[in-house]
Amino acid sequence: MAKKPNNEDASLDMTPMIDVVFQLIIFFVVTLKMTDDKDTTIKLEDGSHGIVLTQDELPPSQLTIDVAKTGRVSLSNITLTDQMLAAKIRERKAKFGPDFPCMIRADQKAPHRHVARVMNICAAQGVWKLSFVAIAEHKKPQK
Amino acid sequence: MARKPQENPKAEMTPMIDVVFQLMIFFVVTIKQEDIYSKLNANRPAPNQSSSSESNDTQIKIDIGYSGLIFNGRGVRMNELRSNLKQLSATSKNATVLIRCTMDSPHGRLVDVLDACNQYGMHNLSIFSL
Repeated sequence: MAKKPNNEDASLDMTPMIDVVFQLIIFFVVTLKMTDDKDTTIKLEDGSHGIVLTQDELPPSQLTIDVAKTGRVSLSNITLTDQMLAAKIRERKAKFGPDFPCMIRADQKAPHRHVARVMNICAAQGVWKLSFVAIAEHKKPQK
Repeated sequence: MARKPQENPKAEMTPMIDVVFQLMIFFVVTIKQEDIYSKLNANRPAPNQSSSSESNDTQIKIDIGYSGLIFNGRGVRMNELRSNLKQLSATSKNATVLIRCTMDSPHGRLVDVLDACNQYGMHNLSIFSL
């Protein structure tokens, strides 16, 4: 009689604990993936009047081109040459048409010539609707 | 022998709690709160397309240089540009805004100008490079 309730209590206590562990693991796997796929050296300018980016604004067809202060052009933190970028844009255009969301994340101190180079590559492929990413609201502590 | 299983369930909890705390600490340390981003739309006419063929009266010209802004041929500061755009937006929000940037101008200033245009509902924005 004394054995049964103790045994059951212990096994019942485990379930929420396992739930929490799985929840945490899933949360952390999902959030970690997002921090890795962009150039983290880029410091964006503030722009609170633009269209706030939500998941709806980021369909699979969107392309975010990173332009660092040094002129490094990258997609998902992979450095690209002008030819590679042009090929990527051509591929997107063939798949989704010329109006796919093409966004440029350029550093606030990047000279315009680097951004102009990227814009010219886009325009030469027939993609002339571009967006620039800015910070609508600061959440992380600024350095 | 029959009493042993009674002890085992209690002993199994400890590593589980350790794991939960480890995960909690790891996750608190690594996850940074992300900023909220916005996008500012603009058009980039094809390089061979000339801007001179369009009529001049409905156009607003903003030149962005290394050290300052020129609004319709007049040097302005950012707050003056905003008040000018505010006045113009009252009459027509559809006017084309031609934004011309010099190659050495910082990108942040272009974003500032685009943001100001967005603030007053100007949505016909074209960016040229000089």
